[in-house]
Formats: sequence, C-alpha cells, structure tokens
Amino acid sequence: MTLKAIFEPESIAIIGASPSPEKWGHVILENLLSGGYKGDLYPVNPKESSILGRTCYASVLDIPGPVDLAVITIPRSYALQVAEECGKKKVKGIIMITAGFSELGGEGRELEKQLVEIVDRYHMRLIGPNTLGVVNAHIGMNASIISRLPKKGTISFITQSGTLGLALADWTMEMELGLHIVVSTGNKANVDDIHLLEYLALDPKTDVIAMYVEGIKRGREFINAVKRISKPVLAIKTGRSQSGAKAVFSHTGSMAGTDEVYSAAFKQAGIIRVDNIEDLFDSALALSTQPAPQGNRVGIISNGGGASILASDACEQLGLVIPALQDETIQKIKTYIPEFASATNPIDTAGLATYEAYNGIAKLMLLDPNVDAMIVIYVHTVMGDPKLPAHAIVDLRRGKCSKPVIACWMGGTGTEFGIEILKSRGLPNYPLPNRAVNALASLVKHHGFLEKVKK
Amino acid sequence: MNLPADRVWKLLNDWKIPVLPMMIASTPSDTVEMARQLGYPVAMKILAPDISHKSDVHGVILNLNSDKEVDKAYLTMMDSVKKHVPDARIDGVLLQKMAEPGLEVIVGVKLDPQFGHVVMFGLGGIFVEIYNDVSFRITPIDKKTALEMVFEIKGSSIIKGIRGKEPVDVEAIVNVITVVSNMIEKHPDILELDINPLIVYPRGAVAVDARILTR
Repeated sequence: MTLKAIFEPESIAIIGASPSPEKWGHVILENLLSGGYKGDLYPVNPKESSILGRTCYASVLDIPGPVDLAVITIPRSYALQVAEECGKKKVKGIIMITAGFSELGGEGRELEKQLVEIVDRYHMRLIGPNTLGVVNAHIGMNASIISRLPKKGTISFITQSGTLGLALADWTMEMELGLHIVVSTGNKANVDDIHLLEYLALDPKTDVIAMYVEGIKRGREFINAVKRISKPVLAIKTGRSQSGAKAVFSHTGSMAGTDEVYSAAFKQAGIIRVDNIEDLFDSALALSTQPAPQGNRVGIISNGGGASILASDACEQLGLVIPALQDETIQKIKTYIPEFASATNPIDTAGLATYEAYNGIAKLMLLDPNVDAMIVIYVHTVMGDPKLPAHAIVDLRRGKCSKPVIACWMGGTGTEFGIEILKSRGLPNYPLPNRAVNALASLVKHHGFLEKVKK
Repeated sequence: MNLPADRVWKLLNDWKIPVLPMMIASTPSDTVEMARQLGYPVAMKILAPDISHKSDVHGVILNLNSDKEVDKAYLTMMDSVKKHVPDARIDGVLLQKMAEPGLEVIVGVKLDPQFGHVVMFGLGGIFVEIYNDVSFRITPIDKKTALEMVFEIKGSSIIKGIRGKEPVDVEAIVNVITVVSNMIEKHPDILELDINPLIVYPRGAVAVDARILTR
C-alpha cells in the first residue's frame, strides 16, 4: 500500500488525545488544529467526551466516518490492542509516537515484532514506533510534536534522530527554509528509508530530499533505490569520527570502517554527503532554487577584494575552478568599474555597488562560455545600499539553459533590506562566502551524479 | 579461517589474477632445490597459519642469492619464529623469485554488515598505513568505477608518473579490482582479503602476497 494515506490523509484519528497540555496526545491535536489541516480530525480517548472543542471517541472503532491515518500516543502496553482496532477500522496508516520498542531491546523488540505483524495482517503502513511524527506543510498537517508548522517549500526532510530532528525542524523555521514533508523515521519497523525515498521521488511537491542518517537498513537496495532518483538527495551521516573496525587480519579490514563504507555507498548511490547541519540546509536551499550547472567553473563578483578572495579560496578547496574570462567579457566589464578595480575573475568592483555595475557585470559573466555558475557578493558599508545590487541580480533575465546564481550579502544591520529582495525572488543568500561556496559545490556534485550515476 | 597460502594462490590463479609464482618447502634440502628451480634471487616467507604479521617474527627474508644463503635462512627463520611464537603451527616456508621493483599498491576486500562486500584500493607501504590514502567501493564494481577508485586517492599522481617516471599500467590495476569484485560475488564466504602488495609496472602487474579470511 502506498504512503499517501500517511502523508496526505483525508482524516486523522489521534489515539491518546488528551485535555492535559503536557501530554503529547494534546500537543499533536493542537498542532493539527493550529496548522490549518482541512481534513476530519477525531480525538480518541475513552475518558473524555470532547477535547479542544472536538468530539472525542472511546475507540477508533466508534468513529463514524472512514479514517486514513491514526496517530498513536497511548502508553506502550496498549499499543497492540489499539493497532488491532485500527486494522479492524480499515485505517490505512499509523504513526506510532509511542516509544519503548526495539530501541530498548529485549521485551521491546518482541513487542515491535508483534506490532509489525498486526500492521502487515491488515495491510496498513507504519511510521515508527518511537517517531516524532510527520509534517506536510502544504496541507497544513502537523501530525508531530514539532512546535510550529514550517514554511511551505519544496525540500522534504527525512530524519532518524528524535530530539535532534526537533531542533533541526525548528532551525529550518528560523532560516525560513521552505519545507514540504518532514518525517521522523523512528525505529523503521515497517516503513524505512527506501520506502520514504521512493515516495518522495514521485511526490510532485518535493524537489530536494534532505536526510539525517544514523544507520541504514538494507544497504544494497538503498544504493539501487537512490540511483534511480534524479532529484537531489543530501545526507548528513553521524558517526563520522568513528575509527575503523577493530580487525587485525588485513589492512582492508582495519581501514574499512563504517564511515568509509557509508561514504562509498553514498557516492555510488549519488547522494551528496555533507559534513554538518548548516551545510545540509544551505545546500538544500541552493538545490531547491537553482538549476544544475553544466560544469565546475565559477565566476565571482564582489564589491570587496577580501570577500572575493575568501570565496575563491573556498572554491579551490572544494574542487571548483575560478576560470579566466574571455577577453571580450573583460573589456566590457571594464566599462562598468573604476580603472583601478579588477576586471578579471574574481571581479572586484573596488567598492562600487550600484545597480548598473552589478547588473551589467553579472549579465556579461553569465554570457561568458567559460563560466558555469556565479557567486555574487555584496559587502555592506555605511555608504552602500544593499537593495541596489539585490535588484540588479533579481532583474537578470535567465533563459532556459540558465546558470545558477548564489548570493552572499555580508554585513550587519541594513543588509536585510537587500536580502529580503533576494529571498522574495527565490535567490539563495548566505551570510558568508564559504557557506555560499559549499552550497554551490553541492549543486556541482549533483550535476556530476546526474551524469555519472543516475542514468 | 585463514586460507592456506597455496589455496589463496590457486584461487587468484583460477581467476587469472597475475601472481608471482611460489613454491612451498618444509625441509632445508627441498627449500634449496626449489630456490634453484625458481632462480635467484629469491624471497623466503614463513608458512604459519596463525601468524598474521610475518615480518614481526622475522618470518620474511628477502634477496637470497645462493644455495648457501637459502639453507642458512631456513634454519634462522625456523629458530626465530619458534622463539617468538613457541606454540605456532609451522607448515614450512614459502619461496618466491624476488619481484622486479615497481609501484606497490594494495587491493583488498571486507565484508560490511550493512552493505556487503567492499573493495579497497590504495598505494602500498606507508601510504596505506600512515596516510590512510585509500578509496572504497561496494561490489559489484565495473571498469569505470574501478578507474574512479584509482584516481580518487590523493597519491594518484604517482600512478600517472611524476618527475619523469613512466606511468604505471592503470588498466592492469583496474583489471585486478574488477576481477576481485567478480570473484567475491562468487565467493560470498570471503570475509576479508588483502592483495598486498600488488606490484604494478609500466606494463602489467603481479600479486606478490595475498591473504584471505573466510567464514
């Protein structure tokens, strides 16, 4: 059965809904109500007649209409009974928030096995157990314990970690990063990474898939599944510092640690591996808004030499090339900048940050066949107006075979007026050159995967 | 289990991985006889299944040039190994003609619990031990992927030939990597494998030492 009932349900039962604000059964119901979810909501709790103004049912079996999804927060000891009732009610999907299963081992593992048996017997699908829940920003469904609904966007996020997942979701909101689906995998007893990736690959609202991975089940199938996905898949895999396995027999045995093997697997699958959380979302932002570059040659424009050198150095470190521009381009660029400024790549306008200069130079650079992608830097000064270069960049007409453009508006108070303009037109902006370059490097990597792996 | 040297050699041979011929002897007179057959200079290595690091127990002697040297080396090696590991089982010694010098690389395999067999490539000696300059791919590995592995390591400029040195036979390395990948698919019982060193020349390559751990 497909995962549609879990990600786009028409009706949801909250089993374990509670009038006490400190209970998860309350938090989730409230999140669903405040998120603006338009489907039917049915709180289930035998002790209550209504919660948050909604009629409460004693059992899922008492609900009059059909139920697509059941979000379960009741204590572990009732989990099997409730799952069985969901099966009888012909519920299609379950999100089991309740913890205390295989993550504890022993008895918990046995309980999880029995839970999966029930889920399979009734042909349901199960997220979790031990999950934070699921969010679909486009339909306003916050069936999770994440406190706010993220901004609508085209990035979907699969997270394995519990509490960190919460923090990450919050952080994306701070960044105003647009998300579509957020799913916390929990113990992956039934639905695992492969199922989720396959669903999101076909989901028309998802352009980029970001993952927070602690471990993968079904390794080889995972590689083959991701190979078939042409959408960018980004992953942060924890445990990077782990030393290799303690084998003594062979060199290979001692060197092929978990981390090295994951790196190889990700490369073969065409997954962009990033080192940290910042890079994960920075890259996701660029990938969700910019076209793939045809190569790794980067043109840089800046009103300050220091910033453009930082950017060029970062490019070189990540294997991106700062090409020489064509003579014709250089000659034309010279007409926009003072005589003492640098008209060679990286372009340094020597402080000039007018609309005409940024617009003119950027146009010329994008036309130059030596350039595959562009980073535009603006360093804020008391004299400068960050809005002018921002307008200059968003006004660029970029045709079908357009090249990616990444912005880096640096500086304190005042810069935000320029950044708002960039954001409103979908241009990814980063506060530091190295973050802009990291994001661009991910775009280049994805293009490489499209050519080499994803065929 | 640690696969005996003769069976390791037979397996590699069956898969047409070029190996440096070897002979096994268990008496001083046999040892001299075989050294003559191989042709001097020869290398002698202890044949003891329980000893992982032969050189740590003086179980490797290189560049033996005469019958007399071979005879003496045999006795010295037996003494030394017995002294270091008194209860080790010793099956004799292994003799090989000294390999021509070339670029030493390592090709290895490990069974990973999540992803199955993983192949490793790297430059030999300190490059693998000190700098961890190696690349990995999960099997099956085709020629294109093997080529990526070779050029992914930081020391790949050595392979391309630096400072006037002739480049080594990349095709030969790629061949060993892909054959090892195919071999491992047919032998899922292999847990670990090291071909170390595989000596690569401007034309061709030869496996000088190899070890295999099976289930």
